[in-house]
Amino acid sequence: MADVVVIPQVQPVQPALRFLRIIPGVLLLAAIGYAGKLLEQNVGAYAKAHHWVFPNIEYVLWAILLGLLISNTIGVPEIFRSGVATYEFWLKAGIVLLGSRFLLGDILKLGGVSLLLVAVEITGAIAFMTFLGRVFHLKPKLITLLAVGSAVCGVSAIIATKGAIDADDEDSSFSIAAILALGAFALFTFPLIGHYLHLGDRAYGIWAGLAVDNTAEATAAGALYSDAAGKLAVLVKSTRNAMIGFVVLAYAIYWASQGQAKAVGNKAAFLWQKFPKFVLGFLLISVLATYQFFNKEQVGALANLSRWAFLLTFAGVGLRTNFRDMRKQGLRPFAVGAIGEVVIAVFTLGLVVGAGKLFGF
Amino acid sequence: MSAQENAAPLKKPWRLSLDDWAVVVALLAALLVRAGVFKHIPW
Repeated sequence: MADVVVIPQVQPVQPALRFLRIIPGVLLLAAIGYAGKLLEQNVGAYAKAHHWVFPNIEYVLWAILLGLLISNTIGVPEIFRSGVATYEFWLKAGIVLLGSRFLLGDILKLGGVSLLLVAVEITGAIAFMTFLGRVFHLKPKLITLLAVGSAVCGVSAIIATKGAIDADDEDSSFSIAAILALGAFALFTFPLIGHYLHLGDRAYGIWAGLAVDNTAEATAAGALYSDAAGKLAVLVKSTRNAMIGFVVLAYAIYWASQGQAKAVGNKAAFLWQKFPKFVLGFLLISVLATYQFFNKEQVGALANLSRWAFLLTFAGVGLRTNFRDMRKQGLRPFAVGAIGEVVIAVFTLGLVVGAGKLFGF
Repeated sequence: MSAQENAAPLKKPWRLSLDDWAVVVALLAALLVRAGVFKHIPW
C-alpha cells in the first residue's frame, strides 16, 4: 500500500480571530489615553490646591509619556502588540473626522498656501538630504529612503518607496528608526521652540506640519501647542502626505532607469495606489460640513470623536517608541537624519515666517 | 516551456488597506452621528 502523503494546509487567520487579537492592545491604548486625560485634569487641580508651581501638562503629553515609560521599562508584552499597532488606524480615522472642523473655504485658502510651502519644503529637503547622504557616503538607496522620509511623510513614505525601488530591508529599517527617533525628539523640542519664539498658533501649526516627519508625531506636536495649532498641523501634514505618490513615482522611474528597480507600468494606477485615501475622506467630511449636512451639535460630536481617536494615537506613539531598539540601528544614518532635520526645521521656520509676513498669519 | 512559466500569476484577493478601513469607519461614524444614533459624544 502506498504511503499516504498528507499535505498540511495553511489555514488563513480568520477575520474574527484577527479582530479578537487586537482587542487587548486597543484596550491598552484606551487605558493609557484615558489615564493621560485624568492626569491632565487631576494633577493640575492637586498642584493648585497645594499651592505648588506646576506646569499645565496636557493629556497629549501625559499619554505619550505614559506610553514611553511602559515601552522603555517593562516593554510591550506580545499580547498587546497587534492592538497597539492600530494606532495608525486611529490617527487616520481621527484626521477624517477632523475634516468636520474645516470649512471648504478655509481648506482652499490655507491649502493653497500650504501647497506652495510644501512644494518648496519637499524640493529643498530632498536636495539637502541627497547632498548630505553623499557627503557621509551612505548607500544610494538609503539616501533615497532618508530623503523621502524627511521630505514627505515619514514611515509611510519610506515603506511605499522601499517597495517601489527594491531597497534592502536593512536600509528601510535604518531610515524608519532614524525618522522615528527624530520624530520623538521633535515632539518635545518643537513646542518649546515655538513658545520661545512666541509663534502664533497658525505659524506654529504650519511649521509643525511642514517640518515634523511622521503624521502621528506632527499631529501630537501641533496638539501639544494648542488646539488650533493641532488642526493646522494636520492640514499641512495631510497636504504633504498627498504628495507621496508623485515623489515615490519620480524615484521609482529614476531607479528603473538605472536598471535597479522594476519599471512602472500604469503611472495613474501607481499614483492612485500610493495616494493616502484618508486625505480624500478628510476632504469629503469637510465638504459635507461646509454644506451643513451636519448641524452644530453633530459637528461638536464629530470633533470629540476625532479627539478620542487621537487620544489612542498619542498613547500608541509613546508605546511604539523604544530608545534601545533605535540605538541598535547605528549612528551614521541617524547623524545624517539629525543634521538634515535640524536644517529642514530651520529652513521651514524661515519659510513660515516669510509666508506669514506675505499672507498675514 | 517550464510549468512555472506556464502558470498564470496568482491574483491577490481584493482587500481593504488600513487607510481604506480608517476612511470607511470614520464615514460610518459620521453617518451614525448624522442619523442621530449617537446624539452626544462627551469629551
